[in-house]
Amino acid sequence: MMLARMAANFYWLGRYAERTENTARLLEYQLTRLVDADADEIALGWRVAYRALSQSPPQAPADVDEAEAFLIADAYTLTGGLVEDTTNPASMISCWGMARENAREIRPRLPLRVWVCLNQGFLWLQETEFADAWGEGPAALVSRAIDRLRLFAGVVDANMARDDAWRFLELGRYVERLQQQIVLLDVWDRIARPDGDGLTLSWADLLRVCGAFEPYRRDRSLTLQRSSVLGFLMRNPEVSRSLHYATDRIESTLQGIDPAGGRPPLAAPHRLALRISAALELDPGEADAAPDAAPDAEAGEPFGPLTRDSRTLHDLVQATYVDYPVTAGLPT
Amino acid sequence: MSAVKFVDHGYADPDPAISAGSGPFRHYELDSAFHDELFHDDGTPRARARRLGTALSRIPPEDLERLQEGVYRRFVHEGITFTVLGVEDVSEQIIPIDCVPRLITAEEWDHIERGLKQRLAALNLFLHDVYHDGKALRDGIVPVDLVLGCPQYRLEMREMKVPHDVYVAVCGTDIVRAGDTFAVLEDNLRVPSGVSYMLACRTAMKWAFPYLYRAYGVREVADYPERLYSTIASLSLAGETPRMAVLTPGRYNSAYYEHAFLAGEMGVDLVEGRDLVAHDATLYARTAAGLRRIDVLYRRIDDDFLDPVAFRDDSVLGAAGLFHAYRAGNLVLANAPGTGVADDKALYAYVPRIIRYFLDEEPILANVETHLCREPDGLAYTLDNLKELVVKEVGGSGGYGMLVGPHATKAERKTFAEHLRNDPANYISQPVLPLSRAGCFVDGRLEPRHVDLRPFVLQGSEKQHVVPGGLCRVALRKGSLVVNSSQGGGCKDLWILRE
Repeated sequence: MMLARMAANFYWLGRYAERTENTARLLEYQLTRLVDADADEIALGWRVAYRALSQSPPQAPADVDEAEAFLIADAYTLTGGLVEDTTNPASMISCWGMARENAREIRPRLPLRVWVCLNQGFLWLQETEFADAWGEGPAALVSRAIDRLRLFAGVVDANMARDDAWRFLELGRYVERLQQQIVLLDVWDRIARPDGDGLTLSWADLLRVCGAFEPYRRDRSLTLQRSSVLGFLMRNPEVSRSLHYATDRIESTLQGIDPAGGRPPLAAPHRLALRISAALELDPGEADAAPDAAPDAEAGEPFGPLTRDSRTLHDLVQATYVDYPVTAGLPT
Repeated sequence: MSAVKFVDHGYADPDPAISAGSGPFRHYELDSAFHDELFHDDGTPRARARRLGTALSRIPPEDLERLQEGVYRRFVHEGITFTVLGVEDVSEQIIPIDCVPRLITAEEWDHIERGLKQRLAALNLFLHDVYHDGKALRDGIVPVDLVLGCPQYRLEMREMKVPHDVYVAVCGTDIVRAGDTFAVLEDNLRVPSGVSYMLACRTAMKWAFPYLYRAYGVREVADYPERLYSTIASLSLAGETPRMAVLTPGRYNSAYYEHAFLAGEMGVDLVEGRDLVAHDATLYARTAAGLRRIDVLYRRIDDDFLDPVAFRDDSVLGAAGLFHAYRAGNLVLANAPGTGVADDKALYAYVPRIIRYFLDEEPILANVETHLCREPDGLAYTLDNLKELVVKEVGGSGGYGMLVGPHATKAERKTFAEHLRNDPANYISQPVLPLSRAGCFVDGRLEPRHVDLRPFVLQGSEKQHVVPGGLCRVALRKGSLVVNSSQGGGCKDLWILRE
């Protein structure tokens, strides 16, 4: 079994790599819309992206509301804040840097090719002049970043043994994905209001952001209704950004980490992962139970329980494998 | 960067027309005051250097530039860096690599190897004596106050049984070549570093000069991690497969890359103090599945920081109770605490006497002439000749705390003279050594630069092993004699030839 600190580093490497890609994907979607969407739609897209990334809206005069603040802000600045701003801990450069710092701590357990791929990617982004890259086309830089991040995922896949190091990395990746996807679905449902009146973003775009448009079209034709789309993104077992898929991966990696091999009594994170999985599988949840109309943004929290459980899952992973009391870890 | 074509330039058939001062070596200025490792004083190549000279003359300079750049990029991407702590930030830097290898013949190496083994054997016996019977002190081989007053002397090690009496398992000895002879400049017996750069340079050179490397028949160094593992494991009292770890101060330490590299190559954990728990005189590491016992620790932190209970109480780098586990015999430390007493710069002057006393042999490797300022004659000589001498603090390292007389200003010499008078025991002086020069590729030109050498010696329970290679440091600034990386130095690969 590996050092607890290193397990945490692998876990956070997975989280930060996933977080970087999540930001890049949302940005890629938004930046490609700059070409043909009107100003109001673009502002709504920024608002959704910033909310989904848990980012504060741009600074604006006190009498300007959030929606208007995004209308005033320019795309170059908004993008820069999420890509190259090293003072923003959620920017791509910061997250990639944190992934790299975690990787530095686990160099003895990290295959050289994995490190080099991650390091080259970070150095590439660090050395890229954002203004020049913007001149080539707003989405070009984040598209290249996505390619590099997926290359990294592939190099990890091809070079790492399926041992605890890999399991903790996978665990981090999918815990992060689960949390980010829950927030995205929630924000899209409440703010983009695809079935609402007036200014909206479409369900099709949500599926595209999640890389799920084509599988959805094959599976359910082009019937783009709230319950169908959200249900698909929550429970489809084959789409890699569905909540079911992420939970399934979390559950299987935790089973591998568990010294008892998944036999009872299960560790606390494993039990919670199974509970989330069961909730997704058996309880259609408020998203499906609700009528096919967008909820009032202030009315309720259809994703509230899932949000809380996914955060608790992280806390339990930390408490069980990293920050456990020393007395609990003594050999018997 | 365009690709470099690896072409066999016919290294097996050296070009007899190569000479210093002409052709591709037109900027290569010889100076009879310094031994040049590529050329004789008359400009003709030394026998060992003919193939290398041929290679350097046949590779277009732009290809050499690309090779140099390629090696640099390789180090950047692989993260072969050292950390520099600034006032406001932390930066990663690359040690500059020169792409021209340094050559040492089999005969020369045989002499160095025998001398290093002899020296380490004597120093281990001396350390055992210091912490037990003290015969060498009583017999006046080394002044008692020099040992007992040394800051690196550890009272806690008195009468302590060290496994197999091996105090120093890993040693890095600094060697210089002055004229035709090699001499020891310094013994590093605590936590010598640089071996990862030796291995990284070798990997890069094999990539850059595959045909030349093969043509030369160079002795291999790649098995160092296995040798290190087996050496340290042999000291364990916990059977053949002890649970080993490398202890690092953490990623802000300048040698962190090396710590991570060695742990990875040996397949052991890289632990920090916060990963360790001492309980019931046993050391454990916190794993994700509970505490796991550690039998052997290759520690890369200084004695002072090992254990806040035994040593510095403000240390957060070690683990409370670690030394207790060591004293109880439940843990092996490599190197043992207290070895610094034998690599003090003042004690260095006595190493030839130590060799004669403990081994009844003449030293194979000479010492550099050293004046001890703790002695009235030594102090007087040093003060009278400050302009011609190098003065060093006995506990200094990294090129800091020293005065290079010929390069110092009058004011600097005056200040240092005051330091000497106030605390003479803290200083030694040595003549400015005419360090040998090796060929380097600097700013697009082939020029000579001063070099030194740090070979690594391993001492296990029964066997000694000298790595056939070492960290070769080079003073890249023209005319500079200071090879430390912190002072503008770089490194290059060292090729020990089989024949």
